[in-house]
Amino acid sequence: MTARPTLRELRACLEGAVPAVLATCDADGVPNVAYLSQVFYVDERHVALSFQFFNKTRRNILANPHATVMLIHPRTGGMYRLHIRYLRTESEGALFERMKAQLAGIASHSGMDGVFKLLGSDVYEVERAEQVPGQPVPLPPRPEGRIAALRTCAEAIARSTTLEDALSAVLATLSDGLAMPHAMVLMHDAAADRLYTVASCGYATSGVGSELKVGQGVIGVAARERTPVRISHLTSAAAYTQAMRGALAPEDEPGTEIPYPGLREPHSQLAVPVLSQGRLLGVLFVEGPHDLQFGYEEEDVLVTIASHLGAAIDLLQVAPDAEPEVPRGTPASTEAGTALQVRHFAANDSLFLGDQYLIKGVAGAILWKLVRDHASTGRTEFSNRELRLDPALRLPEVSDNLEARLLLLQRRLQEHGSDLRIERTGRGRFRLQVARPLKLVEA
Amino acid sequence: MTGALPAPLLEMMRRGVSVNVASRDAALRPSLMRAMASEVSVDGRRITLFLARSQSAQLLQDVASTGRLAVVFSEPATHLSVQVKAMAAQLRPATEADRPVLERYLASMEIELSRVRIPAELTRALLAWRLDDLVAVTFTPHEAYDQTPGAKSGNLLAGAA
Repeated sequence: MTARPTLRELRACLEGAVPAVLATCDADGVPNVAYLSQVFYVDERHVALSFQFFNKTRRNILANPHATVMLIHPRTGGMYRLHIRYLRTESEGALFERMKAQLAGIASHSGMDGVFKLLGSDVYEVERAEQVPGQPVPLPPRPEGRIAALRTCAEAIARSTTLEDALSAVLATLSDGLAMPHAMVLMHDAAADRLYTVASCGYATSGVGSELKVGQGVIGVAARERTPVRISHLTSAAAYTQAMRGALAPEDEPGTEIPYPGLREPHSQLAVPVLSQGRLLGVLFVEGPHDLQFGYEEEDVLVTIASHLGAAIDLLQVAPDAEPEVPRGTPASTEAGTALQVRHFAANDSLFLGDQYLIKGVAGAILWKLVRDHASTGRTEFSNRELRLDPALRLPEVSDNLEARLLLLQRRLQEHGSDLRIERTGRGRFRLQVARPLKLVEA
Repeated sequence: MTGALPAPLLEMMRRGVSVNVASRDAALRPSLMRAMASEVSVDGRRITLFLARSQSAQLLQDVASTGRLAVVFSEPATHLSVQVKAMAAQLRPATEADRPVLERYLASMEIELSRVRIPAELTRALLAWRLDDLVAVTFTPHEAYDQTPGAKSGNLLAGAA
C-alpha cells in the first residue's frame, strides 16, 4: 500500500529544481514519455503543466486526457506519481502569468532562453497522488520561528496608528524575522495605473518615489493579475529584468525619474499584491541574490503579511481625520539663511528644490499647496482633512492614498536634506518645517 | 529499427544517463517510472532497463501485457534527450550477473547529476535498489525520436518511417 500525500505536501517538488516527467498515450495505444519544464500547484485538486510546443504530448492529451507525472523532491530524492486528467488550457490571466514568470526563470537557469515560451497553462485534475516507495534522505530541518515572526508582524501592524508604522513593522519582520533583507512596498496609483515605492530596505538607495507601470516586470505583473509572482532563478528574459530597471522614461521628462532601487542581478524574486476587499492597494516585494530563495512557503508567509497590511491600510484610511488645528502663536520653525528655490511645473505638478528634482504628481501638488499657504499666511500646521477638501488637489473621494502620498513626500524631503520637512503631529495632522526662507517659482 | 541512432546520442545512452519508462494499460492509461539502471548494446539495438518491482507494479504489468514501451534517455546537464519506443519486451528477475551493470550506471549518474549540482548522497537515495526487487526489461527499439527541447524536438531519428 503506497502513501497518499496531499498536493500541498508536494509543492517543494514543483519548483522546477528537478524536472518532472510526463507519460501520455495516443488513441492507438502508443505511450509517450517526455520531460516537463513546469508543474504548477493550482490548488489541492489541480496542477497546471506548461504548454510550450505543439508536440506529441500535446496531441496525445487532446486525444486521451489521462496522463501520469513523476515528481522528485529536490532535497530528499523522494519520488511521487500524480495520476492526472486534462481539463482545459488557459492562455491569459493570473495562472498563466504566474507560470510565465516562473518559466522565464527556469528557462534562463537551464539555458533555454528563447526556446521556452509559454503558449498556455494546461490545467489537470489530480485524480490520485502516490508516494513511490524508495529510500529518500531525511528532509533538512526547516528554519524555525516563521510563525512567531508572522505573529510579531501581525501584532505590530495591529498596533500601528500610521501607515509609516505599519510599513516599518512589515519591513522589520521581513529583514529581521524572516531573513529577507531586500524588500520594498509599492503603492498603487489607480488614476495613473502605476506603482510607486513608499518604503524599502536593504538597498543602496531607498528608491522611495520610483515608479513602475502596472504590468511591468515581476512587480507590475503581480499588480495587474492580482496574484503572487515568483521567480526562482536569475532570468535574462527581458520582460522581467530590463523592463524593471528604469525603462519608464519615454513619456517622462528627463531629470524627473527616481531610480528603481532593486538588486542588479536578482536570482530570486517574489511579488505579492496587497489587496483589500478585492481592490489593489499595492505590492509587497522581496528579492535575493541566490537561486531558489523563495518557495511556496515563503509565498504563503508573504501573502499573509500582505493581507494584514492591506486590512491595516484600509482601516487607517477610514479613521476620522482630525479637525485642522488653530495655528498657535509660535511658529515651529525659524527661517534663516539664503532662500531655497521651490520650482513648480504645472503640467505634471513636478517640484524641484534648487536644481534637484523632488517629486511630481499628487504628492507634488500637495507640497506646492503647503508652501504657497505657508508663504501667504505663515501657516505651518496642516491637516489631512483640508487636503481632502481642496479641489485643486483632485484627490479621489474613496481610497485617495493620502497617507501614502504624505509618507512619500515626507521621505523624499528627508532624503533631500533638512531645509524643508514634514513632520507628523498627530492623527491626520502634520507640520511643515521650513528652515530657510522659500522662494516659490511657477515655471 | 531501420537506420542507426546518431553516434552522440548512442554514446550518451550507453554511458548511463537519466532514464524514464512509460507504458499503458488496456484502457490507455499511462504508467510511468524512473529506471534504476540501463544497459545499451554497442549498436543500440538491444536495451535492458532495470525497474524496481516495489516502485513499478503497474508499469511492469502493462509492459508484460501490452509490450508497449516508451523510454526517454536524457543527459541532465544539457537536456540532450532521445525517446525510443518498443512493441515487445522480455522481463526477467535481475541476478548477481547484473550487478556490475547496475553499479556502473550508478557511478555514471553520480557524475551526471553532480553537473546539475545534485549531491551524490541524493543520487544514491534516488537510485537505491535491492537486487531481489529488480526486474530486467529487455527490448529492441523500433523507433527513436529526438527529444531535446527545441525546434527539432519530436523528429524521427531512426525507425519505421
